Amino acid sequence: MARPTVLFLLCSSLLFAVTCALELNGKISWNDVCPDYKQLGRARVVLDDGDLSGSVVKDGSFSISNVSVGTHVLSVLAHDHWFDQLRIDVIDKTTIEVRPYVVGTPLNPPSQVLLAYPITVEAKGKYNYFVPPESFNLMGMLGSPMMLIMILGGAMVLGLPYLMKNMDPEALAELKDQQAKMSQMQNAMTSGDFRGLSALMAAPEDNRQNQPATQSPSTGKAQGGKGRSNKHKKH
Amino acid sequence: HPPQVGLLAEPHHLGTYIAFGNETNGSPDFFVLTNGHTVNHIVNGKVKWSWTSEDKGSLVTYSNLITTSQSIYVIGLAKSFASYTLHVTTLSPVTGEVISTSHIPSSISNGLTDFIVLDQAASRPHIVWVENNNLQFLELSPTLQKKPSFPKDKLFTKISDVGLGTRGLFVALKEDGTGHIMAINSGFMESIKEFESSAHSESATESLYAGGLDKNETPYVARVYWSHALRLVSVELYAPYHGGGQGLLSGFSFAFDTYQHGVVSHVTFDAANPQPYQVIGRIAITTSTGSIQLWQQDTRQWTREEGLADINAVQFVELPEKLADKSERSEGSFGRFERQLRDAKDFPKYLMRFVKRFATGAYESVTSPASAHAATTGIPSRDTFGFRQLIVAATTHGKVYGIDSSNGKIIWSRILGLGSKAEDGAKIVPIEKKLFVVKTVGDVDGNAEVSGPGVPEVVLVGKRGATTGNLLYHFNALTGEDVMSSKKSSNLRLLQGTEVADSVIDAYCLNAEDKGKVVVVLDSEMKVHLYPDTTTSRALFSSYISSFAVPIRLSDATQGQYRVVGHQITASTGLSKKPEFSAYPTWTLSLPEGEDIQSIVPSTGGPVASIGKVLGNRTTLYKYLNQRMFILLTEPHSRSSVVASSASSSNHKTVCGLYLVDSLKGSIVYKTKLPVSSTGSCDVKAVLTENWLVYHYYDDEYRGTGQAKGYRIVSVELYEGKQPDDKIRSSDMTSYSDKNLDITAYAQSFVYLHGVTAIATTSTKFGITSKDIIVANTNNKIQSLSRRLLNPRRPIGRKPTTEEIEEQLVQYDPLLPDDPRRVISHRYVVANTRQIITSPALLESTSLVFAYGLDLFLTRVAPSSTFDVLNENFNKMQLVLTVSGLAVAILITKPMVHRKRLKEKWYQ
Repeated sequence: MARPTVLFLLCSSLLFAVTCALELNGKISWNDVCPDYKQLGRARVVLDDGDLSGSVVKDGSFSISNVSVGTHVLSVLAHDHWFDQLRIDVIDKTTIEVRPYVVGTPLNPPSQVLLAYPITVEAKGKYNYFVPPESFNLMGMLGSPMMLIMILGGAMVLGLPYLMKNMDPEALAELKDQQAKMSQMQNAMTSGDFRGLSALMAAPEDNRQNQPATQSPSTGKAQGGKGRSNKHKKH
Repeated sequence: HPPQVGLLAEPHHLGTYIAFGNETNGSPDFFVLTNGHTVNHIVNGKVKWSWTSEDKGSLVTYSNLITTSQSIYVIGLAKSFASYTLHVTTLSPVTGEVISTSHIPSSISNGLTDFIVLDQAASRPHIVWVENNNLQFLELSPTLQKKPSFPKDKLFTKISDVGLGTRGLFVALKEDGTGHIMAINSGFMESIKEFESSAHSESATESLYAGGLDKNETPYVARVYWSHALRLVSVELYAPYHGGGQGLLSGFSFAFDTYQHGVVSHVTFDAANPQPYQVIGRIAITTSTGSIQLWQQDTRQWTREEGLADINAVQFVELPEKLADKSERSEGSFGRFERQLRDAKDFPKYLMRFVKRFATGAYESVTSPASAHAATTGIPSRDTFGFRQLIVAATTHGKVYGIDSSNGKIIWSRILGLGSKAEDGAKIVPIEKKLFVVKTVGDVDGNAEVSGPGVPEVVLVGKRGATTGNLLYHFNALTGEDVMSSKKSSNLRLLQGTEVADSVIDAYCLNAEDKGKVVVVLDSEMKVHLYPDTTTSRALFSSYISSFAVPIRLSDATQGQYRVVGHQITASTGLSKKPEFSAYPTWTLSLPEGEDIQSIVPSTGGPVASIGKVLGNRTTLYKYLNQRMFILLTEPHSRSSVVASSASSSNHKTVCGLYLVDSLKGSIVYKTKLPVSSTGSCDVKAVLTENWLVYHYYDDEYRGTGQAKGYRIVSVELYEGKQPDDKIRSSDMTSYSDKNLDITAYAQSFVYLHGVTAIATTSTKFGITSKDIIVANTNNKIQSLSRRLLNPRRPIGRKPTTEEIEEQLVQYDPLLPDDPRRVISHRYVVANTRQIITSPALLESTSLVFAYGLDLFLTRVAPSSTFDVLNENFNKMQLVLTVSGLAVAILITKPMVHRKRLKEKWYQ
């Protein structure tokens, strides 16, 4: 009983104090993110909109004086680190409740978790302001799918003649035939002859009729190929 | 003691003093005087004893402490009629008991500047003061029994503390201004040295005195003055204990540039004595323009322009393109051949550079630092993308700077001249934000081929500090040269202005597209002054008269508060047959009871690229584009807030108001009420661009459900009509149309983590790029907030539909993420930013951002990323390698194919 009366006397004796206010104490505990004061730099701990604030001193402790009774939101302003906000309920001179507070959520109802007083906060992360630029690297470039296709294409161009040499003559003839058809189609496309193109595409019967005509030069070529392969065998 | 019993004092150091105790046995030991009436003895961080004077500072305000082994002297001034009386109390250093206290019969008129405490270690402390133009001094003893005495020479009228009180030295001035170094020796005060010819004279300014020490802690006294005849700052150094005890006087002068830095306002120095009879002085001065300089003898070591912390008007100015040398145009064919031959020797180097550039793609890129290719000499020129601009900034110290935006160097600086009604000590304070670019690079006189690109020109409206009168300065933005006076000789001198009105209320810049720009100045009698005042500018102005409507904040004498009154201009033919213009009120805004106008924020102009927003379902929301809108911020009226706080039990709640008002008609387009901060003031920051309003405030309310204390950013978009596809053509509709207020506002509020000291939007050349909001927050960072996140039409509590995804809308989240990658000041600490301005670069995608306040910070931002230049990540190396690889492949395979063909033919 004696204590409150003394406090009351003290409070009423203060000429300039409108409300009976108290001092809020706390400490920043160093962790891996922020190991010491040098890393933290100059930092401030503010209540609500920054009317009341305290600076963080070298050992990490801070104190905010003149805090009135009520609910406050405490945040740490550090340039390179971010901290969680806390909800501080000053109920009377002696009772201070500290709760975690998630920004963007309603203050009421309060969280059930009670933290210890004096306040202990620790850095949750370090701001990373930069995005690393994409650097040139040969392996990455060669590993990209576009590049792989190109390399494969190049290998095919170089390796195809050898592949063809070792191919079966009939299969080769078929391939040649197909190729000729393709080139025909391509010619029609480039010359803008859509009729011919549609004729090629739409009428397989016609194609079959034409086949002997187209086949005769291709067979000749195939024979040539055979002759060459024969020569190759002779060697 | 707790801060709440602290006393506010002016100056702030009044009534506080710290003296170090004698008993320094390893632990800190202080005697601390606070509040002008309490002395605490603090040992090892704990209060050992405390003494408070009986009257608690109501009569005597103590200001100094002297500690000796026997006693502590607490010296202060007591108020009496028309003057002050010295009062000394002695305390015991051990217990803090009062040994004695006494009024010293004295009358001091000027308070603290008229008495000095001399505290020599060797002898007893003395107090020296000036009483009725006479010097008196008193030796202090613990019992305070001594009587004041006078020096032999009774002609001293002023004293000047040179900070050598611990050496027993000070400077006293005679009535004619002659300075003497004084000391007290064995109970007598005497002059050790008279500064010769230091009396008031026409040839030199008043002297400044300063004290300093050298490495061996020997005292020196300096006298610094500006000599009109030599046009130099002269320094005389006197060392009382050098020169074999006779005293040693040495002097030097240095070439202080008074047209650049004004006048010397404060001096401090230290000295060195490398040889007997030689003294070297190192002197630090601060000037009236806010710069700090260090001089060693007659060479300047460095200069810092600290005045730049007080910028109050600033503009970006585009630079002209670099031109070929003038000589190149006028040379003959032979001369050209010769020059080309001369240049030809650089060809191999050029080739090398070309190949290198071709291979690596080291072209101008958006991320290359602009400072890299800044020209070292001459008039600065534009870079490829227009990132290099000139910042013209005017400070409250009456100086204008031209700053290169690429590297922050000051290219030129000029002091604003006082004009014809010059008075001593007066200075020009530029009116806040009244700096206009009246001519840009694009504005060319006559034929562009002949005259080259236009020289940008700037007009500044300044107010003469002490007396009335306003001046208008018109100068070249590239060099700071005066445009009005054609005399080239005046280049080095002060910038001369022309007098405009006696009391300027407001000034505007009328931008008539290609016909030129006119500065319009409105004085308190509602008369309009034009600059330049020519027939063409008058004709131009009269053609714009009907659309010229300005809101003016007027103080209402009867109510004791401000009103906003809309004004329009009328023309009348005066006596001299010249059309005269004057403003007449058209509307007055009536605000709710208890609201007072805090400020008017004009809309951020700029080109509008699209008049509507096409939604995902192919309907269009037409933007409400009213060029005449401005933001009006209100705060609780000072008188009513007092009433409200005294009757806090009543339901009457004070609010801050935010209104969007049409300046022609005075109709309120949009309004909202915001909570008042805990201190009863309103700290709302708002910005308006096109149809988009963004404001920031602190919400103190937390008791209701779903409420939380915190900063809010609210984004409001105004669209025409009631629903999409409604169209009222607001951009070219008259204010008097009744359809004008047929609008829909989409608003959404977001939680922001920090307080905001300045807010602005980015601005680009054609307005196609989406606009970002740039804020300077209380965590000393400049951050950009994306338009996408601030879109008020973000869907709430559900996934966006495909139509909304097409509009790039993301689900609403109350918290604006504190993304460090959007902190454009990244690791720099940018403190106390007052204002942010933005300027378009030549690239449409990019905007320059300049934040000023205590620190200056400039960067460039690309809100929609740099879409108009090749991506920085574009791998030119890859392209070159691929192409060259193909070329090599062709080279290798060509002979192979050729051989094969040949073989085929041969064997067929």
